[in-house]
Amino acid sequence: MADQLLEQVRDAVEGQIDFEGQRLAELSTNVLLGAAGIFAFFIGFMAQDIKLTLYIGLAGAAVTFLAVVPPWPFYNKKPEPWLPPHVATSGIQSIDVDGQKVG
Amino acid sequence: MHSTLVRIQNVFGFFTTVAFSVAAVIALSTFIHPQTPQASVALRNVQVVRGRPHYYSYKKEEYAHIKFDLDTDLSTLFNWNTKQVFLYLKAVYPSTKPFEPASEAIIWDAILPGAAAPWHQNHYIHPTPKGTKKPKNSKTNQAKSHMPAGIIKLDSQRPKYQITDISGKLQNRTNVHLELGWNVQPWVGALLWENWKDYGMWKGLKGGKSEVFTFPAIGAKAPKKEKLDVEKGKEGHRLMAGQEQPRKNN
Repeated sequence: MADQLLEQVRDAVEGQIDFEGQRLAELSTNVLLGAAGIFAFFIGFMAQDIKLTLYIGLAGAAVTFLAVVPPWPFYNKKPEPWLPPHVATSGIQSIDVDGQKVG
Repeated sequence: MHSTLVRIQNVFGFFTTVAFSVAAVIALSTFIHPQTPQASVALRNVQVVRGRPHYYSYKKEEYAHIKFDLDTDLSTLFNWNTKQVFLYLKAVYPSTKPFEPASEAIIWDAILPGAAAPWHQNHYIHPTPKGTKKPKNSKTNQAKSHMPAGIIKLDSQRPKYQITDISGKLQNRTNVHLELGWNVQPWVGALLWENWKDYGMWKGLKGGKSEVFTFPAIGAKAPKKEKLDVEKGKEGHRLMAGQEQPRKNN
């Protein structure tokens, strides 16, 4: 019971996503942050207000963190399935450890 | 990007890159903002008095008290990346030995805030010109300079600092002139000094130097024949030869 709970907590903290999701996360990081930076500069320059640039840049970073960091479901759409478990019958019948038959 | 921690590190890492790049572009963007600073500086009155550096000092030094007129238009120094401009007026006079560089001493300074700078008590508030009415009891007007940023018109301004020389002797020194200088402190980018040359859209400072004058002998009447009268009510601030120490500035 406690083990199961711990397992769930660990999964939530680790927040693993699949390979396709990783590609998407990387792409969206670059696009979102880059766009936020460009927007921040031009809007601030038009308004001649450097604080506007600062706040737009920070808001863009916050949005990027929110979009990329949690393991959203759309990052887990193509999970790579594990190989089916092999039945270990090939060749080795039993393992010899110090003269004793194990397994 | 497989786990939360790695994603945090990646996003933050790229964020710092973007922030640095934007800051660099902001710093460069000020170069397309034309600058045409102008200033005229004139000596109004100069006196040399003898005084002590502080009350318990046995040493007597000579102090120059320089009144000046200043008329500047530095409004073009204020662009979107200007945090504040530190403006100063210095007296420049050759040193006693020919191989040493000229001495410079600041007699007056002011911190001119940019548009985005938050209020600070040390910011310069331009004195109200005579004849203009000041709205009474309005706190917002008291905290802010009513003149546009960078426009300064001072008439017969008393110095903030009375200057002395490292040798302690100032009277009869010749070839003195007043010179305006400043630092532009940007929000991001390099600290800039006043410049006398043109760089692209940035024109050098026009004017900004007074005519050459001489520190008079102690107790001598100022050499200029123009207005020599002291402001009414300020007579007590004059320092007399051999008396008192120089008045402390607040």
